[in-house]
Amino acid sequence: MDVIRKSDVTRVDPQAWPNGTPTEKAVDPDLGHEMIAAERYTSQEFMQLEWEHIWTKVWLLAGRSDDIKATGDYICTDIGKESVLIVRQADGSLRGFHNICLHRGNKLRPEGLGNVENFRCLYHHWTYGLDGAIQKIPDLDTFPQGAPPEGKLPPIVCGEWGSFVWFSLNPDVEPLETYLDPIPRHLNPYHFERMALKRDVTVEWDCNWKASVDAFNESYHVQGIHPQLLWYLDDTNIQIDCYERHNRYLIPFAAISPRVRVPSAIPPAIEEIMLKAGMDPAEYEGRVSDIRRDVQKFMRANGPKVGKDYSELNDDQLTDDYHYMIFPNVTLNTHADDLMLFRQRPHPTDPDKMFYDIWVFELVADGEEWPERPRHRHMKHGDRTIGQVLDQDAYNLPVVQKGMHSSAFKGLWLGDQELRIRHFHKVIDDYINGPAGQTAGDD
Amino acid sequence: MPFSLGLSSGQGEPHVDLGLQGKNAIIIGAARGIGLATAELLAREGCNLAITARSEDGVKEAVANLKKYGAKVIGSAINVKNADDYKAWLADAIEQLGGCDILIPISSAGGGIGSEKYWTNAFEVDVMGPVRAVEAVLPTMTAKGEGSIVLIATTSAGEAMGGPQAYNALKASLITWGKQLALAHGKDGIRVNVVSPGPVEFEGGNWEMIKGTMEKFYTNMLRSQPTGRFGKPEEIARAIAFLASPAASWCNGSHLVVDGGFTNRTHF
Repeated sequence: MDVIRKSDVTRVDPQAWPNGTPTEKAVDPDLGHEMIAAERYTSQEFMQLEWEHIWTKVWLLAGRSDDIKATGDYICTDIGKESVLIVRQADGSLRGFHNICLHRGNKLRPEGLGNVENFRCLYHHWTYGLDGAIQKIPDLDTFPQGAPPEGKLPPIVCGEWGSFVWFSLNPDVEPLETYLDPIPRHLNPYHFERMALKRDVTVEWDCNWKASVDAFNESYHVQGIHPQLLWYLDDTNIQIDCYERHNRYLIPFAAISPRVRVPSAIPPAIEEIMLKAGMDPAEYEGRVSDIRRDVQKFMRANGPKVGKDYSELNDDQLTDDYHYMIFPNVTLNTHADDLMLFRQRPHPTDPDKMFYDIWVFELVADGEEWPERPRHRHMKHGDRTIGQVLDQDAYNLPVVQKGMHSSAFKGLWLGDQELRIRHFHKVIDDYINGPAGQTAGDD
Repeated sequence: MPFSLGLSSGQGEPHVDLGLQGKNAIIIGAARGIGLATAELLAREGCNLAITARSEDGVKEAVANLKKYGAKVIGSAINVKNADDYKAWLADAIEQLGGCDILIPISSAGGGIGSEKYWTNAFEVDVMGPVRAVEAVLPTMTAKGEGSIVLIATTSAGEAMGGPQAYNALKASLITWGKQLALAHGKDGIRVNVVSPGPVEFEGGNWEMIKGTMEKFYTNMLRSQPTGRFGKPEEIARAIAFLASPAASWCNGSHLVVDGGFTNRTHF
């Protein structure tokens, strides 16, 4: 790597936190070095394969449990051409349905959140209970064939983990915990249920959904499009771990990249980390390269005093980004005090478009009031800023997508820093072809 | 080879001998940037040096490099804020050098807005750093009947740059105090001058970080430089070395802005 000095970042001893998030380095899978074919990002055929073998087969993220706490609260979310309703029942359980009226196919609800006593179609007022059963069909006596024989909305499997609501279009899907393994064991220590949603934005991006997943699955691009982050994180000292279908990397924050010299003044972004932790950068007497460890020590000591329980997290988790990807489309930038989650959804028909959902959560300290939920905002790429770093990512992706259509571009030429991208495509292949089938490189 | 101030490059042409050979110089904050460049220049000109800075590794490396020029160089790390350690270091440096002819205190706590602590830091480092060093060298300079002190302020003292903060305000106090010192000690053969550098960029310096982290601000600053670039440490060092040297015998109480024309103000 093009570094000018040795990294001075140290990591916690995996043995020292036996009950916390596992930190052992997983053995890197041997996924070869073949090109990843560009058609996977651009072709209708591949998009269709993904629909048949992935989107209709796996567990997908729908939303937050605390958005549907009360009886009749529902989440309505779209995936591809499908739309899903997930509803809190009187007994506290969840039920999911296809969001369609059995009469003429009208959608019962638009995407978003709400609370209902029943679902009444706005077209002819066919009405369904919270359990999906038909409650009322106006003028039923004018239907000689009677009501639709199934008598209820087509069900969808749903479940909850980690304060999030999940669903699957596959009636025979494995249990949620089995599918998510080992993610719950890794992320439960963060207690996402103690974090409140602070930002809820959907941006239409002009790129394939996988181009977005890829963009967040490697930090090789930091030196390319986020030069300012070189004074914020160590992009050269990243632990990549690939599991069966999910993967992660652990990236040290509050550190200076060995690609640049250590400055004598504290970089502004690292000052922000210190301030957020409750430290006064002006009081800091140590070296810039000691800040990461000192922030960890400070948060460890100070956390309980400010109502923040970090007891299940290791020291590195107090500063670093434990960056997870839940297959196929959830990216989690996980921190002790916050979670920046991206959900990447394909466009229903166009492989060159996608929906990029940004959900930012912040830890609510004990005794602090739970903040009001922000309104969902929907925008198109470039409408307005989504923050400097994400703007830099967003600026790049439509251009990448266009380039992938070129006859001269055959595929992705990936390096070791991009192992998670290779792993992601391997899992896609496992779903499309079965584990013994072709791999991306064989195309 | 004597420093030429760019007036001569070959034999037979006139050159200015700065007269630095064999002088004993103390530089506070000499591990990097302007301080290190000044130390290098003085070492090349044959000065004996005592240097310090906060970073142990930085001082060790600087001492090793400066020794290459053949002069006597001593140095160890000190946090200027620790007054007792600092005073002890100064006394020891004067003793080891066998007196002090030149003092250049350059350490700075840097900028910062928000915390009140930035004021304490700037006072302890940018003000009391020079004050304690001057107090320490005055007796030996007075006894010898000669000496030269160069204080380092900033163009940010004369131009309201970077928002209201301690750095600019307290650096400005050095310009005032420098003049007072010059008037008070001129009779003892001690000259005191002030240099105010404009933005200086070097590898590992703050402007390098600003270039990477706040590109727009960096570019705007660059645009306001008539020459389209920032200064280099050695360009400031040459001005400091001149004022520090016997060649500047008639410069006393002066304030020299070295900024490539960056500041807008005319100095009447």
